[in-house]
Amino acid sequence: MEALDIDLEEGELELPAEPMHLNLGPSHPAMHGTVRIVLELSGETIVKADVQVGYLHRGFEKMCERGTWAQVFPYVDRLNYVSPMLNNVGYALAVEKLCGLAVPERCQWYRMALGELARVSDHLTCTGAMAMELGAFTPFLWFVKAREMVWDILEEETGARLTHSFGRIGGMASPPTADFKGLCRASLAQIVHLVEEGEKMLLKNRIFLDRLENVGPISGADAVALGWTGPCLRASGVAYDIRKDHPYLKYDEVDFEVPVGTKGDTLDRFLVRLGEIRQSRRIIEQSLERMADDGPVNCDDPRVVLPAKTDVYTTIEATIQHFKLVMEGAKVPKGEVYSYTEGGNGELGYYLVSDGSGTPYRVRIRPPCFQITGGLSKLIEGRMLSDIVPTFGSLNMIGGECDH
Amino acid sequence: MPTFKLDGKSIPFEPGDTIIRAAWKLGIEIPHYCWHPGLTAPANCRMCLVEILPKPGQRALTLDILELDANSGEYRPVQKPKLQPSCYMAAVEGMEVLSDSSEHVKRARHDVQEFLLLNHPVDCPICDQSGECKLQDYWLEHMQTKKRMHDEPVHKPKGVVFGPTIVYDGERCVMCTRCVRFMAEVAKDPVLDMRERGNLNEIVVSPGRQLDGHYTFMTEHVCPVGALTTKDFRFKARVWFLRTAAAVCQGCATGCNAHLDYDPRYNKAYRYRPRDNEMVNKFWMCDEGMLTYKEAHDGRVVEPVVRGKAASVAKALDEARALFKGVAKDSIAIVLSAQHSLEDNWALRELGTVLVGSKSVFKSAKPDGYEDAILINRDKNPNAKGVEQLVPGVKALPSLLDEVQASRITHVLALGGAAMAEVEAFRSAKVVVVAAHAGPLTEVAAVVLPATSWAEQSGTFVNAKGMRQVSEKALEPLGASKPAWAQLAALATALGYEPSWTSLKQIRTKLVGGAADARAAAPSATAGQLGAE
Repeated sequence: MEALDIDLEEGELELPAEPMHLNLGPSHPAMHGTVRIVLELSGETIVKADVQVGYLHRGFEKMCERGTWAQVFPYVDRLNYVSPMLNNVGYALAVEKLCGLAVPERCQWYRMALGELARVSDHLTCTGAMAMELGAFTPFLWFVKAREMVWDILEEETGARLTHSFGRIGGMASPPTADFKGLCRASLAQIVHLVEEGEKMLLKNRIFLDRLENVGPISGADAVALGWTGPCLRASGVAYDIRKDHPYLKYDEVDFEVPVGTKGDTLDRFLVRLGEIRQSRRIIEQSLERMADDGPVNCDDPRVVLPAKTDVYTTIEATIQHFKLVMEGAKVPKGEVYSYTEGGNGELGYYLVSDGSGTPYRVRIRPPCFQITGGLSKLIEGRMLSDIVPTFGSLNMIGGECDH
Repeated sequence: MPTFKLDGKSIPFEPGDTIIRAAWKLGIEIPHYCWHPGLTAPANCRMCLVEILPKPGQRALTLDILELDANSGEYRPVQKPKLQPSCYMAAVEGMEVLSDSSEHVKRARHDVQEFLLLNHPVDCPICDQSGECKLQDYWLEHMQTKKRMHDEPVHKPKGVVFGPTIVYDGERCVMCTRCVRFMAEVAKDPVLDMRERGNLNEIVVSPGRQLDGHYTFMTEHVCPVGALTTKDFRFKARVWFLRTAAAVCQGCATGCNAHLDYDPRYNKAYRYRPRDNEMVNKFWMCDEGMLTYKEAHDGRVVEPVVRGKAASVAKALDEARALFKGVAKDSIAIVLSAQHSLEDNWALRELGTVLVGSKSVFKSAKPDGYEDAILINRDKNPNAKGVEQLVPGVKALPSLLDEVQASRITHVLALGGAAMAEVEAFRSAKVVVVAAHAGPLTEVAAVVLPATSWAEQSGTFVNAKGMRQVSEKALEPLGASKPAWAQLAALATALGYEPSWTSLKQIRTKLVGGAADARAAAPSATAGQLGAE
């Protein structure tokens, strides 16, 4: 890091002044997930911004090397904790790729529906919080009300509102509940209605638009160069979406569009997320349509999937299976794999190395936020102090993901 | 060397080897329960069945069987190759054997495993074998299917006390007869046998006898499942929490190779398991030896003692300095220990003969005891030979007693607490002992410095055959104990000398080469009289 106290030549400014140094964060309500920005200000203009992640550090990747492969699920819940289901599914897909497993179709549709619900929750949180930080409290409440509906569905399905730990190698913890489809359909209509209400309040608001439009723009080429993916990249006009470009699960069998922006400014990022909520609704509805009401959710491989509890208590074969999977962990074939999915903020990649044992040898995460946060200083340098909050908010940095 | 092919891989064998043994020598496992490399093969578990391809031009050995056609629900006659037990079939030059690559073999393993689990109780959660059980391992490797028989399983006696050390569970038993064969073939005491047939099979002790003697623990260790458990280890620990270190048994001069299993969370040793070594103990250990793991904790010296009272290390060293101040080197004797490692003894020899300049070298050891022709040696010390190598012709402790009584020796530097003689007379001398275990010598010592046991440091021991074996560190040092060589270095410093050793590695470089080098280090060595040059 460069020294921040560079001497400015006197006389360069109309009113000679020392540059002001300001710490924004790490404990600041608008610095989501404990990020610190060391600012050098000239008046209210940002001369230099030094963005420092790392205040939220749990040694995540190292922790994964201790337990079994299945015990990583609760950890990945805590990556992007606004959309844990997407992390769960992404990790499950990575391990399954290494194992050469394919989950039953019903499970694939189920994973898509749950994942898109998580994406909706992610985008609602980001856009809602961003509006709130600019003083628009009502839309925030609208959006959180909608998010509450998503969480109600997830709670019904998984038993937990936030950290579900619902993914499993070779399937999901339990099959969809009988009410899943009905709940989703009823809630999605209301969620979109709430989003529209919120939008009406914001997108005709002069102040809100002025705070967002042409603030923190980034060109598509620059965004790509920074390694950006997800809504932030698409807001800059690059229509790269892993669900479209490298389809996994059943994404190649559903109709949806990839919303893109034009200028890559804060408003575009805001609008792209709102657009994606509507696309997610389309995906969920198609998934529900195609998902069978019965049939297996877990693949039929005793080496990785736990037996039914009733069998464990009554038969020695299932007891042994349970014992082997719980005490030693499912043996993942020796090798390495990179598997990537579209997370809430972009490409969520897992690079796994297995030594053939029941414990991961190495789990490396490629979180979308890390690269995106890396571009923040570029967006805010030369801008006003007050632009930081909406710009930073539109990037949707999640501290849990930036644990590096 | 002749070879045969196993799954297409060329396997060399010595004439007379069975297929399974030839593969085992190369580290290739053909699944088995009843076969054990150290026992005869009864070929009764049927898990090691392999397909042997017919010689060119010969007809394959086949069986006519009825196979259920899943589609029509009808049985239809088919032929399948007659599989052979690889533990019984001698390997023949050019023979082609299929193991993992034969569908018939895989099917047979699956079905044998299914039969073995047919009446098996749901005991894994309460079974000591759980985590190192062949039934568990082979279910995952060779079966992987659910239970198909849902009738009440056959019940058999559980918790049968076979003797003072072993408890038998008939329901868990797979009737491999390894325990029966071990007692008959290795322990030479055929006290176990099998009664009844089929489902009602069980292992029994001869009427009027119980399973006792010196080799009962081995029946538990040859048992591939949890049917035999030792009273000593029963319900004490779950094996997946245990870590293991390659140790050498300290029970006698045989120096059996063992796994010392310990729980790092509590820094506690739980058991010994025999470690295969064809040159020393093959696959076996005796009961007395197996129980010596307890000496990692029992009877230990873990705090410095000055005149019978616990003291700090500094105080103990001060006391030693005061005791030895101005004492003529001819009045000082050193006592090496057959209970301590070569490194520890080397350090004391270095301190006593080179730094102090004493010419009187003795050795302490535990008294002799029971011996047999199988494993147990009369000499109950793990390193008597090592001491002999360091100081050839070293005198035994009783002759030091005479010296002390004649007041020719007034000060003694000793290693280890053990003694094979009455040592009360030492009370007239000033004795400083560095010891891992309490014993007669620590009783009479003015100063005792705590040393780590064999379990807490890596050490070399020379067995009765003169083989140097390294016992690895398992536990962290207990209390204030430090390796004896380190304690001796501290003592040397306290006595005003500059010790020439600061690490185990350093001592070991000086030990390379065996007895010859040891003599070279002290060239004028004669019985008990070492030159100080």
